[in-house]
Amino acid sequence: MIPVFFGSTLLVFYILQSVPDGPFEQAVKQIKMQQMQSGEGGAATGGNDKNSMEISEHVLEKMRRSYGLDKPIWKRYLIWLGLAEKENEYKEIEWGVPFRYTIKNLGQGKYAPVSLQQWMIVNLEDDGNYKIYQGAQGTDFEWKKKNPLYISPLKTPEQPEFINVYKLLPTENELWDLIDSESPNYDENYLIESNWKLAKVMENDMVGITLKKRQGIFTGYLGHSEKHNESVGTLIWNRLHISAFFGLTSFILVYLVCIPLGIIKALKHGAKFDTFSSFVVFLGYSIPPYALAAILLSLFATTNIFDTPILPSRGWRPEDWENLSLTGKWIGQIKHALLPIIAYMVGSFATLTILMKNSLMENLSQDYVRTAFAKGLTEKKVIFFHAVRNSLIPLATGIGNTIGLFLAGSYLIEKIFGIDGIGLLTFKAIGTRDYGIIMGFLVIGVLIRLFGNLISDLCYALIDPRIRFK
Amino acid sequence: MNHNLSESILQKRIKRFKSIKRGYYSLIAIIFLYILSLLSPLWINDKPLMIRYANNQYDNGEKFEDINNNELWDLGEPFNDKVRYFFPAIWDLLDFVPGLSYPIYESKYFNQITNKFEVDFRALDKICEKENDGNYVIMPLYPYHPHEDLKDELDEIYEDMNNNGKYDNGEIFMDQNNDGVWTQNNPPTKPDGFGGRHLLGTDNTGRDVFARVIDGFKVSITFAVICTILSYSIGIILGGTLGYFGGKVDLFGVRIMEIFSALPFLFIVMILSGFMQPNLFILASILVFLSGWIGISYFIRGEFYREKAKDYVSAAVSMGASNKQVMFKHILPNALTPIITFAPFAIIGYIGTLNMLDLLGYGLQPPAASWGEILKQALENLDNWHMLIFPIIAMTITLFMITFIGEAIREAFDPKVYSRLR
Repeated sequence: MIPVFFGSTLLVFYILQSVPDGPFEQAVKQIKMQQMQSGEGGAATGGNDKNSMEISEHVLEKMRRSYGLDKPIWKRYLIWLGLAEKENEYKEIEWGVPFRYTIKNLGQGKYAPVSLQQWMIVNLEDDGNYKIYQGAQGTDFEWKKKNPLYISPLKTPEQPEFINVYKLLPTENELWDLIDSESPNYDENYLIESNWKLAKVMENDMVGITLKKRQGIFTGYLGHSEKHNESVGTLIWNRLHISAFFGLTSFILVYLVCIPLGIIKALKHGAKFDTFSSFVVFLGYSIPPYALAAILLSLFATTNIFDTPILPSRGWRPEDWENLSLTGKWIGQIKHALLPIIAYMVGSFATLTILMKNSLMENLSQDYVRTAFAKGLTEKKVIFFHAVRNSLIPLATGIGNTIGLFLAGSYLIEKIFGIDGIGLLTFKAIGTRDYGIIMGFLVIGVLIRLFGNLISDLCYALIDPRIRFK
Repeated sequence: MNHNLSESILQKRIKRFKSIKRGYYSLIAIIFLYILSLLSPLWINDKPLMIRYANNQYDNGEKFEDINNNELWDLGEPFNDKVRYFFPAIWDLLDFVPGLSYPIYESKYFNQITNKFEVDFRALDKICEKENDGNYVIMPLYPYHPHEDLKDELDEIYEDMNNNGKYDNGEIFMDQNNDGVWTQNNPPTKPDGFGGRHLLGTDNTGRDVFARVIDGFKVSITFAVICTILSYSIGIILGGTLGYFGGKVDLFGVRIMEIFSALPFLFIVMILSGFMQPNLFILASILVFLSGWIGISYFIRGEFYREKAKDYVSAAVSMGASNKQVMFKHILPNALTPIITFAPFAIIGYIGTLNMLDLLGYGLQPPAASWGEILKQALENLDNWHMLIFPIIAMTITLFMITFIGEAIREAFDPKVYSRLR
């Protein structure tokens, strides 16, 4: 499994990084578009305009750096894995001058956007080395009206909560007081040495500083989504219950339908019921799930047949979910889930039924069934305790794969029914070239596969008495 | 039971296959339909099968009777109006060959009338009929091309008094919906039925749905067959090598297969086809390279492992057969029969995949016809039931028949006889 993980992620990573028109090119295009629009608004500058349209090499270099494109692909892969340090931020500033660094945008305040900020300074020490200090974190604005809190510089700074930040930044003068103070240990807790690193020293007192961090798969960080501006782990976690709900429900239902159907078909082999249900099964095999989904939608969610659409066509829950009563929630959920689950089920319905039927037929012709009959057991007992148990083995080996497929969600069905699950998230990420999500999905997929194999083995051991974990 | 002893196993299997009627007839039907769809340019096309055309003008190369001996053709001098024959539809039979350019029919004379760069042959047909001067156009049975946008086509019937192929002010039109206005053909239009203009209606850009459903059949089957052949060739060579040589080669190869099978290959196909804009052949190669070869390689590898331990292989080796000979001449025929039974199901899978990619908009490039592409348009507006139901019917019938073929082949090649106690 380990070589599979590394091999597949490296392969996908390489493909994603080397195909043209990636996030970097799209960002460049966007900037060019903006320039073009602003250029159109201004006075026409004639033919020389072409040069000004180009983004300067310096800006391009900075952008490439922020996208990590200045490093070779293998290094980027190591960074993604979390084995190498990632350059999260890069800034070029003048040393000895305090600057405010925006850590995170907190949202829109009453009058202006509020962000979490921090004072930082690059200081030239007496020994000729540059050192970088950082102050307390806070905002310029009062985040909450009531009880604004002013943190005195001497107080120990607390890590602010996302929402409850109402600390105010110290003024610049107070910062200077701290830096100029005689004692070297003015307050370790307040003005501390930053984890920013010096990258390069440039002319005219400028220095380049970077914030590096090991942040990747092995540190439990799935990546960052450019388009959603959120971490991939959160994005996937917020949608996991949706995909899992549809996946697991249809997974359980399909087994609940297919196993009894397969048993009946095997017992009535050649009878009318068998022939008829074979026809249905073949039909189910022949209709691709997306085609069935489209038919179901046009039958029940439009006015083609019924006067009013009797089932909703989009979404995974009613929109007014919070206001519904318990029965209303149940009915709403079932109404929304009915069509997608049928479409989910049809994909594996045919294969599972036929597999069950063939496997039971094969077992019924075995000698041990004859023996069981010979020792006088009833037909029910022979079939359900001996034959069926053994014929479930091939189904159990496939259970892991199936559960993996279901858990990860089918992007096709999620797209057609407008369910905002993991599949749709990843599918949209392909269109917008959101590579963080695609790679995150890949990792989750491999993990689910691993989990599925485990479940397969467990089921195998549960059914097959010859296999025991010791 | 009279067994013919000289019958080979293959003959027996074919006989058994033929005896399973629904599979056998499905095979015949699919082959017949496929040939029919390959010949579709001859019966579904906007280009005529044949044009006879003489333009009543003196052209270069025509003989004239030089009455006044100035070696020039003057007005009033009789000339041999050379009759030309064109067969435009024939060229469309070759349109699957990439890079082949076939002649575009344009003429100044017709250009002015139809306001089109190319000749509108349906209008030309009408004009020739009206003028009745010996020129004629033989249109195919169903005179619409699957790639043809018909946004400017007329919705209501009109009488074309000045024969320019379009409705002008002052011409009589049959006001079918009685609103006193001539309505523009706003695609998508609903089916007109038999005898109407568009049998199954038109899609969002005014392309004929019937023509596209038939063309989609051709494209789907062609794609699936190409994919199957490609994946079988790669799978046989790779799986055979791994199974035959075993050891480290096998270990390494199996790791590679595991890695490839862990890929979310459809997402990668989408990413690649997003910027490559592949044609049918390239899309098939991408699909096979990313995932198609794995399953068949696994299977062939297992078969080779089993077969190479048998005595006939040792015999062949001791006779001095080379590795290549042993692999492909001795083992392969024995390993081949089980995978033949897979082929129809592989084809079903590839048809499903192609149409799914088209449905998502990452498949073949726009003018190409595909069931999935029609479905995609239908899903944008579910009221267009004709764009939903007809491709699905076509797809289901096709896949249904291939399933029958597959079942019959499996029955013939790998019969399972269950002895039942009761």
